[in-house]
Amino acid sequence: MYGSASTHDIPAKATTGLENEDPILLAEFEARIARGEKIEPTDWMPQLYRKQLTRMIEQHAHSEIIGSLPEGTWITRAPGFRRKMAQMAKVQDEVGHAQLLYSAAETLGKTREQMLSDLVNGKSKYSNVFNYPTPTWADSNVISWLIDAGAIVNQLANAKGSYGPYCRALDRICAEEAFHLKYGHDAVVHMATGTPIQRKMMQEALNRWWPAIMTFFGPSDKMSTHTEILMRWKVKMATNDACRQQFLDMYVPKIWEIGLTLPDANLRKNEDGVWEFSEPDWEDFKRVINGDGPCNAERIAVRRAAEENGAWVRRAMQQPQARYVRPLA
Amino acid sequence: MLSSFDPRINRLELPDAPSIPTDKVALDQFPTYEVFHQRKENAAYAYVGPVHAPEADVAFLFAKEQFSRRFPCTGMWVAPTSAIQVTPYGNDQESVYNLLPLLPVESATADATGQQAYDIFHLKKRGKAHAHVGQVSASSPEAALQAAKAAFGDQRPVVNVWVIRSADLLRSDDEDRDMWTTTPDKKYREAISYKVQDRIDRFKQEG
Amino acid sequence: MNPTLDLLYRLADDQLILGHRNSEWNGLGPILEEDIAFSSMAQDKLGHSLQLYTLLHELGEAEPDTVAFTRNAPQFHCCQLTELPIGEYDFSLIRHFLFDHAELLRFEALADSSYEPLALVARKIKGELKYHVLHANTWVKRLGTATEEAIERMQAALEFTLPYALGIFETTDAEPEIISSGLFIGEKELQTRWEASVSKVLAQTALTLPDLRTLTPVAGGRHGQHTEHLQPLLDEMAEVFRLDPTADW
Repeated sequence: MYGSASTHDIPAKATTGLENEDPILLAEFEARIARGEKIEPTDWMPQLYRKQLTRMIEQHAHSEIIGSLPEGTWITRAPGFRRKMAQMAKVQDEVGHAQLLYSAAETLGKTREQMLSDLVNGKSKYSNVFNYPTPTWADSNVISWLIDAGAIVNQLANAKGSYGPYCRALDRICAEEAFHLKYGHDAVVHMATGTPIQRKMMQEALNRWWPAIMTFFGPSDKMSTHTEILMRWKVKMATNDACRQQFLDMYVPKIWEIGLTLPDANLRKNEDGVWEFSEPDWEDFKRVINGDGPCNAERIAVRRAAEENGAWVRRAMQQPQARYVRPLA
Repeated sequence: MLSSFDPRINRLELPDAPSIPTDKVALDQFPTYEVFHQRKENAAYAYVGPVHAPEADVAFLFAKEQFSRRFPCTGMWVAPTSAIQVTPYGNDQESVYNLLPLLPVESATADATGQQAYDIFHLKKRGKAHAHVGQVSASSPEAALQAAKAAFGDQRPVVNVWVIRSADLLRSDDEDRDMWTTTPDKKYREAISYKVQDRIDRFKQEG
Repeated sequence: MNPTLDLLYRLADDQLILGHRNSEWNGLGPILEEDIAFSSMAQDKLGHSLQLYTLLHELGEAEPDTVAFTRNAPQFHCCQLTELPIGEYDFSLIRHFLFDHAELLRFEALADSSYEPLALVARKIKGELKYHVLHANTWVKRLGTATEEAIERMQAALEFTLPYALGIFETTDAEPEIISSGLFIGEKELQTRWEASVSKVLAQTALTLPDLRTLTPVAGGRHGQHTEHLQPLLDEMAEVFRLDPTADW
């Protein structure tokens, strides 16, 4: 589950470093991408490509492992066998996706343990929506359906990107997410068309989550040199606004058809087919992503506790002769 | 104490203030193993991804659930990443065998001692997955690659080749076939189990 | 109680409660891959309990959801081993090892049960149980021969857990009839097989199996007597379900 390609944390005026790259190798690299071929780990690649992809895949992986926590909150309380088993399977999948994505990022040279270390030490970012709590079962359902729906919009786009290992991981993740989306929709529909208690619970959860959902894809992209290069290299596959529009177009009608309302009086599709909405509070978004959200501290503390409590197990399993090499693909 | 909406987290009794940052890198890094699965009987084993594990038997345990829980398979192999010989990558549509330096091919009558079996995997297209094409017998990984060129070099396209000493592949046991047949029963993990259109239609009619 | 119901409730409640407990590790495990594997096994246990509650429903008991989510602790027949909190990973692994060995042997025997629907379930889940025991054995062998720290932890967990594990084999009044009717081989025979099976694995480690004759089994679970941990577990599990008993979730 993941939102924007996070180009928003690149300083717009930063140097691209391209002037230091070998022009012949760079031309071959760009020609390969232009032909529609994937880049594989041992190919030559510009530093900027390696750096940006590492950051992006790593943040995506963090979003999966942290993203397992808000739904994990309801894992022991899911009502009935069907929901209980599916909730477990879904949370498990998020951990599985983190595993796949960390592996893809590792092929670029950063070890998984370094990435996890950066995460628990607060040095890395992850999708901002997971810094909000899930106070009720219905909140968990909203994530299962709509946050995963947003993630799929993004992941389907990124699966057409240029880096082979990331594409392989995303192909598998998208196939697995098909279950998440249907499960989430099923749960929300049961609540929204259910008893008065269920309907109220679901509407309140949706009201709580809608502002965060609207920020899921990130602010409008500033069209910098960086963004242009990353799009040419098929690192960034669609603008944040395009993803947001696609999401609204696919899901707002599905939300409305089950009698739920959205807490934005300005939300509507205009005659050109473009969705209009109230501008999200990007100042609040920045404040939360920089650490001051309702659950940032908890998310990191929990991940850190998992690492610390598991340390003795890993220490015991470590073989002295073991040699780490990067995964191949 | 940290207070959470998650009762599991409350039972961990975590302090409110985070503890001192810990650098876990040197301590924890397990080696990686590459995993291949067989989608159905008689299909070629194909690459699915890596796992981190201290040793091959643990890698196998991990690989089974990470790579077979959602999509059924009939068998699985794991090999230490460090034991895999990799050629450079060629362009799509081409054969990477043509880029290999020409070495004398071992004659078939060469001394059989020191000969070992190697498994050969081809990648047909960048971004796709390596698949098993067969075994060769050779005295070294380099010689195995030459033997693979002789045996499978006419296949097109081949953008990358992996060579793995057969002894380095841990393979699932034929006796344990029943371990792999349980996935299709777990319908709750499949999108197709969630059919909600009737309920929506009923709601709209009543509304 | 009718011997078939008696047996099925014990089996189903064990699977539900331990599956629930093990799901608490999901997202908090020591290694990403292990987190995934442990969750799969917890899901399997839930699946087993659902199949067994479905058999009970076919025999006239309430719906599986009602049976699982609305009873209170005294109405549960799980052994106390299953209801203990997850503790640290050493305890959770040892519980998994001790319970799943008994579980595999139990369902192997049940594959020949005179109650054919149960025999069918037993045959169907064999592949899953095989993986569970392979998983448990691999971990116990690895950690039981690893660092001094790991061996000490595993030994302590083993000694703490064994009396509870012996509670798996607590019998009820229905036992003679369960055996004579060919429903099941009986708890005594199961325990004999289990002892052989776990000793064989432990013998390959630095862990010591105490003389089981000297231990007092923690019994009561099969008769509705539980630790203080079960009722809170059930309240938590049913928190949403009980919000609106008329609702379809």
